[in-house]
Amino acid sequence: MSKLRQHKLFSLGLFLVLVVISLCIVSFFYLPQDPNVMNTINRFQSPSKEFLLGTDQFGRDILSRIMISSRYALFIGLVSVFLGAVVGIVIGALAATANGWLETILMRFIDGLMAFPGILLAMMLVAVLGKGLWNAVIAIAIFMIPVFSRLTYSLVLDQKNQLYVKAARSYGASKCRIIFKHILPMILPRLITQFSASIGSAILIESSLSFLGLGVQPPNASWGLMLSESRQYMLTYAYLAVPPGIILMITVLGFNLIGDAWNDSIVSRRMAE
Amino acid sequence: MLSFIIKRLISGLTVLFFISIITFFVLRWMPGDPATLSLGTEGTPEKIAELQEVMGLNLPWYQQYYHWIQDLFSGDWGSSYVFGEDVMTLIIQRLPVTLLLAAVSMVIVIPFAFIIGIMSALFKERWVDYIARSLMQLGDAVPQFWLALIFLVFFASKLGWFPVAGYVGFDDGILASIHSVLLPAIVLAIGQVGPLIRIIRSSMLSSLEQDYMLMTQVNGLPKTLAIVKYALRGASIAPLTIIGMQLANMLAGAILVENIFALPGIGRLLLMTVEQRDLILLQGMVIFVTSAVVLVNILTDICYRLANPMIRFGGNHE
Amino acid sequence: MKRFKFIFSVLLVSIILVACGSSTDEEGSANENSNLDSTEQKEESNTVNIEKTELNMALSVDPDGLDPHRTTAASTFQITSNIFDTLVTVTPDGEIDKDLAESWAISDDGLTITFELREGVVFHNGREMTADDVKYSFERLKDEESPRSGDYANIAEINVIDHKTIEFVTDSLNVELLSNFAYPWAAIVPEEAAEDLRNHPIGTGPFKFEEWVPQQQLVLTKHTEHYDPASLETVNFKMMPDVTSQVSALQAGELDIIAVNGDLVGQFEGNPDYTILENRSNSIQLMAINTEHEALADQRVRQAINLAVDKQALIDTVWWGYGEEIGSHYPTMLKEYIDTNSVLSYNTDQAKALLEEAGYRDGLELDMYLPASYPAYVDAGQIIANELDAIGIKVNIEIVEWATWLSDVYTDRQYDLTVVGHTGRLDPYDLLARYHSENGENYFNYSNQRVDEILTLVQEEQDDAKRLDLYQELQKILAEDVPALYIQSPITLTVTASDVAGYTSYPIDIYQMKDVYFTNP
Repeated sequence: MSKLRQHKLFSLGLFLVLVVISLCIVSFFYLPQDPNVMNTINRFQSPSKEFLLGTDQFGRDILSRIMISSRYALFIGLVSVFLGAVVGIVIGALAATANGWLETILMRFIDGLMAFPGILLAMMLVAVLGKGLWNAVIAIAIFMIPVFSRLTYSLVLDQKNQLYVKAARSYGASKCRIIFKHILPMILPRLITQFSASIGSAILIESSLSFLGLGVQPPNASWGLMLSESRQYMLTYAYLAVPPGIILMITVLGFNLIGDAWNDSIVSRRMAE
Repeated sequence: MLSFIIKRLISGLTVLFFISIITFFVLRWMPGDPATLSLGTEGTPEKIAELQEVMGLNLPWYQQYYHWIQDLFSGDWGSSYVFGEDVMTLIIQRLPVTLLLAAVSMVIVIPFAFIIGIMSALFKERWVDYIARSLMQLGDAVPQFWLALIFLVFFASKLGWFPVAGYVGFDDGILASIHSVLLPAIVLAIGQVGPLIRIIRSSMLSSLEQDYMLMTQVNGLPKTLAIVKYALRGASIAPLTIIGMQLANMLAGAILVENIFALPGIGRLLLMTVEQRDLILLQGMVIFVTSAVVLVNILTDICYRLANPMIRFGGNHE
Repeated sequence: MKRFKFIFSVLLVSIILVACGSSTDEEGSANENSNLDSTEQKEESNTVNIEKTELNMALSVDPDGLDPHRTTAASTFQITSNIFDTLVTVTPDGEIDKDLAESWAISDDGLTITFELREGVVFHNGREMTADDVKYSFERLKDEESPRSGDYANIAEINVIDHKTIEFVTDSLNVELLSNFAYPWAAIVPEEAAEDLRNHPIGTGPFKFEEWVPQQQLVLTKHTEHYDPASLETVNFKMMPDVTSQVSALQAGELDIIAVNGDLVGQFEGNPDYTILENRSNSIQLMAINTEHEALADQRVRQAINLAVDKQALIDTVWWGYGEEIGSHYPTMLKEYIDTNSVLSYNTDQAKALLEEAGYRDGLELDMYLPASYPAYVDAGQIIANELDAIGIKVNIEIVEWATWLSDVYTDRQYDLTVVGHTGRLDPYDLLARYHSENGENYFNYSNQRVDEILTLVQEEQDDAKRLDLYQELQKILAEDVPALYIQSPITLTVTASDVAGYTSYPIDIYQMKDVYFTNP
């Protein structure tokens, strides 16, 4: 019963994510209209055969812009979480194996990063690095570091006292070897779960940054940017805010569901053991 | 216990030190300098250089950092370039709005999260649980700024249930004041409710499986009483562990939400200071906000420590 | 022509609205006689509502402090003009009128100007204003902390003759001298309050400063001892960055006056509860071109850019048609204006040909910087970029914060193209001085010998007709040489609740609240 429900939620999440991924893949081969070409005579069109989701304030096709945007969302989500995870795992593992001052410094630094309300740190970093795709990626990656560091730190500490680590140590295996050969494979499933759960929040932060004008720059499209542009037409053409908001929510929901279901299955598996 | 508190305080101070370093360096690297900004379209290179000197912007970084830390400790947080007011004055001016916003949204979130969390734990794998978990998932996934926009247009503009003109001070009555932040507080609450439900649900589930719950059944205590008396107590301190995180989340949400609802709080001031490169004010605010988060974390850690043994004691007593 | 019809029909709508909003026929006919400036006059027949004396107006941004001598921000002067008075003032029609000065005389050589001050003027702190305060104020305006000091460097001596008479001696002749005393930054301030004018301004103006909570509100109350007292007791400026909120708040009755964009004006059209005011302004909006860029130094490339842009379509899209197309750096409402729109009118074939001739057959890549705080300029920039793309110029857009824009684009001149607006000035020289190759504000890096010559000549030319010729020649040169793509002279739109009367727009960017009052329902 429990497995089935999890399976259901997992499949729903997978389905939503696949929808977005296929939008993204299709966008490389086919777009209904050129997403950047303006045609001001056609602006604020309601959905029609020609423009399935209507047109925006410059007469650009909303569906095409949403499809193009999915590339940015997925790219930024995956890459920034990956970078953040790598750095975070290294810091966390280092802190857990090193003793004394290095451990303290590393973990307090991570605590320091953690104390920044997410979007604020990203805003400050984008302001320093400048705007644009890669800078947004870096800003979000830095935001992702503490989550992975802390998780790795506690997982490694946990494993350190396990019998198999003690055994490896008694064989005279090096610290490095113990971490990479023994501990990492053991904690990998938990890290992967965290990875998939983090993608959703990375995409949300990207869209918040773009909404504030700090992420993807016009005339390129991004869901957050489209929402930001719709803001001044909320009284006259509120519809502009609907399609990007919904697709953004679907994407985040999809990744969250996958992460959650995965996490649940790991937890229940461990409980069963 | 005392040694734990001292240890926790020392580690908190170290965290604050790192925060100050991060903040200081991040802000010094920002492009666009405040001297140019305050001269606006009238700035000539000579005038800018003069003003930079007056503002101490041409000193080496370690001197600037040293002066800054010294001033922080002496309570002189400098004054904003944009408003010409003391940083502290501005923060204190803005704080009530954000605190009220956070408080109202907490008042909405906490009972809601408890009810939903407990119900879904009690009726695990039943439809209540499914609905609760779906709501939780939706709340996590919906972009807050999008929700804020939609709510603003629909509930405030179209239906006129809430004022659109920003914040109403306490002078006009507390109810009016609360009313003016209610809609944004609801938006913030929706973003906060997911993690809280999750932690209440899971801790409720785990305390339901505890031995002492079994014991109470053996002792013939009615189930509801046992739940209220023991399981609930166990579940109610669990959220303490994430309050620091929730506060940080809420402040992050406030940056976007206050901006959309034109509320003159900390979040809106923060965005403005980033946009206007009001370095002194931004530094002060970042230090203030992060210190608040760190402090809350220390406090909750201590509270959790204090609360935890009591629970165990209560459980064993039966 | 179509455009003119459009303006006319909109004007007609606003006249009808004005007529609907009031009970008298005279007002409607009065408006028919006026031109596009559909500003309302204080009508004797409208009875003043003495019960309702508190007005709420929305502002998009906070002022940059309230010290008129220490900032250049338009957002400051919009408000301080209510708190401070100047020696002379400007009427809505752009004429110079007396304010704190009762009369003035200019010496025959044109170098000395003497003001006789009004009797019985008191500051908000109760002290009487004298000639010493005037001397102090101008010295403060001239000192090195003042961003406008350069504009007043010409004043060599300030002599107090007696406590109500003051004399200004200038170094060189400046025919537009008087207007320098009318700008809102030439405010008269009391020395004892000078320390904290930024946050606690004290002046002689019709309103006293009460309270300013940044990003929330700024409150002014009536100064009862003013020589021309205001009708309103309280004015609340509410800071609301979002236009949607402003419109909703006006509809909810929380506000009385807001400025709107062209797309939102439709929310109020035909509704008798609101009055729509349309005003031509003497500000202009343009896309500046960095003439030091390798390709942009070529006049043909700049002309090609100008030819590639359909300005009217641009105005229709971004400003919903509320703006008058211009061909040079000159607002249409000033008397020196000449129509230069036909010098380079929209023609993409010609644009492509010119670009090819200049050696850019294979295209060209340029960087455009747009100020984030001005959504209209961001929109306009994107549309222009799209049009330039069609003639083979690839434009990379970067949207920057105002702070970055000021330092990188305006001061350091590190840009290729940028869209921005320039606020109006009272005298043509101030408006055009930035085109002098030596001028510190010449962010176009523009250098034209004849332009430099004209800008030197006009300052000393006392013959009005000759000066007019010089200014018109300058406009033609700019239109042909294209140091910037001149877009439009905007028409500002203000919506008020229909019981608000007396709100007038001025050629300088100020919100004058003194004459505003509520009518009886």
